[in-house]
Amino acid sequence: MSIQPYTEDQRDALQEITNIAMGQAGSSLAQLLDVFVILSVPRVRIVGVEDVPSAVSEMVDDPEEITAVRQAFYNKLRGETMVVFGRKGCSDLADLMGHEEVQSSEDEEELLLDVTNILVGAVLNGLGEQIEVEFGFSPPAIMATNTPIEKVLISDELGWSHALLIEVNFSLEERGFKCYLIMLMPEESIDMMRQALDHILESF
Amino acid sequence: MALPVLVVDDSGMSRKLTIRALPKDWDIEISQAADGFEALEAYHQGKAHIMFLDLTMPGMDGFEVLETLQKEGLDCFVIVVSADVQPEAEVRAKELGAMAFIRKPINTEIVTKILMEFGII
Repeated sequence: MSIQPYTEDQRDALQEITNIAMGQAGSSLAQLLDVFVILSVPRVRIVGVEDVPSAVSEMVDDPEEITAVRQAFYNKLRGETMVVFGRKGCSDLADLMGHEEVQSSEDEEELLLDVTNILVGAVLNGLGEQIEVEFGFSPPAIMATNTPIEKVLISDELGWSHALLIEVNFSLEERGFKCYLIMLMPEESIDMMRQALDHILESF
Repeated sequence: MALPVLVVDDSGMSRKLTIRALPKDWDIEISQAADGFEALEAYHQGKAHIMFLDLTMPGMDGFEVLETLQKEGLDCFVIVVSADVQPEAEVRAKELGAMAFIRKPINTEIVTKILMEFGII
């Protein structure tokens, strides 16, 4: 199946609405951890699904050892979100929350689930508000711990030919901490998103 | 003489939204810049008595623009327009010399209120 790429205006609009949603997610993370979160420009593109693993590993600092938490979303638009933490990211999070709070590996997992839920919830709500879609989402689940990224992202399992790939990263100033939010949407959602973006672009 | 106003944002859509939110009867000459480098270049050419400045941009971001302006002896009224809604982002931008901070999405009411507050319109 061939897919029509987004026009420059559509891509720009999607990047900007993602930017606004990311700002809200970053603020929630800042509140949770009581730190300042550094935001960078989100990246938006349509890729063949076989290219998803390499595209994602490009953005991650240490793709050999990642921990990933998955959360699916559905409704008018559907897809997968993944929050990816490097090894250092996991231990930094535990440090920031305080070791009284995070003692066991179960506590650490719970913290990763909480952070994912907060980031994904804020990004989806932020996007949803702007394109007037309400998302449903599944509870977060750990996909892999300390695993090479290509073993985590097996594109055949998605059963799609193309994916809209949205990448956002959050880093904290004082530590090397970084985590990445990746959103993937299949063909019909790419088209649905195109309509939503055109609607926004037509409004001015 | 029309007041030189510079709108800085990496997103073309966002620049349009900002320009659309400016008061209609304001006598200005608008220039645009897509990142921090372009913003400083336009500033040095005298195109930015007032600057609407995004923070999150590739290359040189808005915080770096503010730092540079501060070092050079800020001669420009900067209003930050950002999706970064952390209270700390606003504090930092103002410490670096920004006069006001607008959280995206921007609208005419908030721009007008700020411009009136500072006696610009």
